[in-house]
Amino acid sequence: MKDLQRLRTSLKEEVELALNAQVKMEAEASSKYLAMASWCEVNGYLYSAKYFYKQAEEEREHMLKIFHYLADQGVMAYSPEVGPVPHDYPSFRSIFEAALQSEINVTHSINRLVTLCRRVEDYATENFLQWFVKEQVEEEINARRALELFDVIGEEGTGRFQIDRYVYKITHLDVE
Amino acid sequence: MKDSFTLHELYRTAKGFTQQCDLTNRIILTFGEQVIAFRYLDFVSFRRKVDRVNLHDMIFNLDDAYDFEVIEAPKSNQQLVLTLCDLVQLRDLLSGTQFALDLNSMLHEALYTYAS
Ligand SMILES: [Fe+2]
Ligand SMILES: [Fe+2]
Repeated sequence: MKDLQRLRTSLKEEVELALNAQVKMEAEASSKYLAMASWCEVNGYLYSAKYFYKQAEEEREHMLKIFHYLADQGVMAYSPEVGPVPHDYPSFRSIFEAALQSEINVTHSINRLVTLCRRVEDYATENFLQWFVKEQVEEEINARRALELFDVIGEEGTGRFQIDRYVYKITHLDVE
Repeated sequence: MKDSFTLHELYRTAKGFTQQCDLTNRIILTFGEQVIAFRYLDFVSFRRKVDRVNLHDMIFNLDDAYDFEVIEAPKSNQQLVLTLCDLVQLRDLLSGTQFALDLNSMLHEALYTYAS
């Protein structure tokens, strides 16, 4: 008797479902960053807006990376439903706090996925996920650096104007 | 019988049964009067669709629309019209079938991993 399941895919169902959940999480992250970009742009923080637009795009790329992996492994990737995201932020600084918290949540989620892969001995997916493990280190560094600018520069006087400019440089160091 | 070479029964309940056809790589569901052949992936998405039906709504909503659930079988142009009772039985059959498929896969892994 043939093993129809294995002939179709190497993914265990729980891994497949967890990866699809991660697809949704990346889509939500993208949507959140887009809302942050919108807040920044409309409130005069144009560089931070650019920074968040770029983050939004990157999160979508993360989503697609998992999307294609699922398809490559022979299972269906589900286009995720994304609910409403927050648009009201009490301050410029609070956006960066939310961004860092969001990245920390993603890191936890990726770590849980890796744990799951080890438990079910899915070493291929674990290997695939290592890219995300590394990426999250980078993402947390950037989010933390952005928040740090509020302390280093200070918000008084033209502080927020300066912070805005330096936020953009976090990922564009070549820019003056 | 020629059938016995390629058709393997996966699971059986009072209301129906499922078989695996090794010639066509299909899972064949016989439920009441209906016979539907699925590819593996389609079987999985069909099972999930059946599992997603809200039985609670069917029980407590008095509207006629909640007496039946119509479920489309993937790529087969067939649909199942299911009562609450059918749904419970179909779920049972599908999850039993999935169990048999999982078990078969585990056996394959255990038995054929190391060439002996
Ligand atoms: Fe991400
Ligand atoms: Fe991120």
